[in-house]
Amino acid sequence: MWLLPVFGLIIGVIIGSTITFQIPLIYVKYMSVAVLASLDSVFGGIRSVLEDHFDGAVLLTGFFTNALLAALLAYLGDRLGVDLYYAAVFAFGVRIFQNLAAIRHKLILQYRNRKLRSLR
Amino acid sequence: MTLTSKWVLPITIVCIISGFFLSFQLKVLANSNTTNPLSQRNTNLVVIIKDLEEEIANQEMLLEQIRNDLANLESRALPGDLEILQNGLRDARIIAGLTPVAGQGIVITIDDNNEGLKSNPQDDPNKYIVHYEHLLNLVSELKVGNAEAIAVNGQRLITTSEIRCVGNVILINTTRIAPPFVVQAIGSPKHLAEIVTNGELAIMKSTNYPITLVENDKVIIPAYRSDLQFRYARPVKGSE
Repeated sequence: MWLLPVFGLIIGVIIGSTITFQIPLIYVKYMSVAVLASLDSVFGGIRSVLEDHFDGAVLLTGFFTNALLAALLAYLGDRLGVDLYYAAVFAFGVRIFQNLAAIRHKLILQYRNRKLRSLR
Repeated sequence: MTLTSKWVLPITIVCIISGFFLSFQLKVLANSNTTNPLSQRNTNLVVIIKDLEEEIANQEMLLEQIRNDLANLESRALPGDLEILQNGLRDARIIAGLTPVAGQGIVITIDDNNEGLKSNPQDDPNKYIVHYEHLLNLVSELKVGNAEAIAVNGQRLITTSEIRCVGNVILINTTRIAPPFVVQAIGSPKHLAEIVTNGELAIMKSTNYPITLVENDKVIIPAYRSDLQFRYARPVKGSE
């Protein structure tokens, strides 16, 4: 069951690398915010699974709205002359690290619990 | 089982899209590193300029050929008054600079002060390159010295010729010329040499530009090759 998301990631990478469509270089910046947002959603989803409060609707809506809003906000910031782009990068970066830390904690706890159980 | 399958599908979807974004972004960035759009544009412009210059050279060759044919046709003996008109025309052409001319004169060669720049690499390079003002002053002094025909790097100077700075090259007759600059002038060699060595050349020598001045018994100066048409100027009636 863990293999399916990994498989999905590989499929996504293959689609992304085979597609020949090019976006203008000006929009690469917004695209990178969307990438961060999606990574954040992936780790957030894994964390919520481990913490047993996973909700598919929350994950999917969060994924799309976060990516879109981040890109829009970065664009708006550029129009206004404020680098909101960095705010988005910072916010998502911090969240990704927090999620990763939470995942690590959970995995270690699970591992220890399993070990304790097997010892008994 | 139902509990585990609940989260597998959404996470898989998110993973697919994330993977897509990731590889797409990586690919775009990898492409943008290899082809800088600005340098791409510059190379395109350079190619366009080179093509156009080649085209100009071809057209000028054609023009010169036609002018030669015209000269041959005109040099045939003609009856009566026409010969006087023809001589007048020939004189006018020589004055306008449309015919190659030869005669006594001087040849001045000036180049950038590369050695000076090499020994002072921290200094402003502008102090060591030949600027269009140098050529302009030199040409003006030659004109003061009654030079009858002047050419710089093979570009004949006529009444409409410009000497203009465009970045790191100089335009003369809308043709790019670059150092070393060879200034040919027909006139009294002694007189011309005297006037320039006491003027612009003295200034340039004092800042160590490499300069040579040769007095020559036969300097050949090419004809003006480009377009020469008056589209706006008309002779004033009654002035003749």
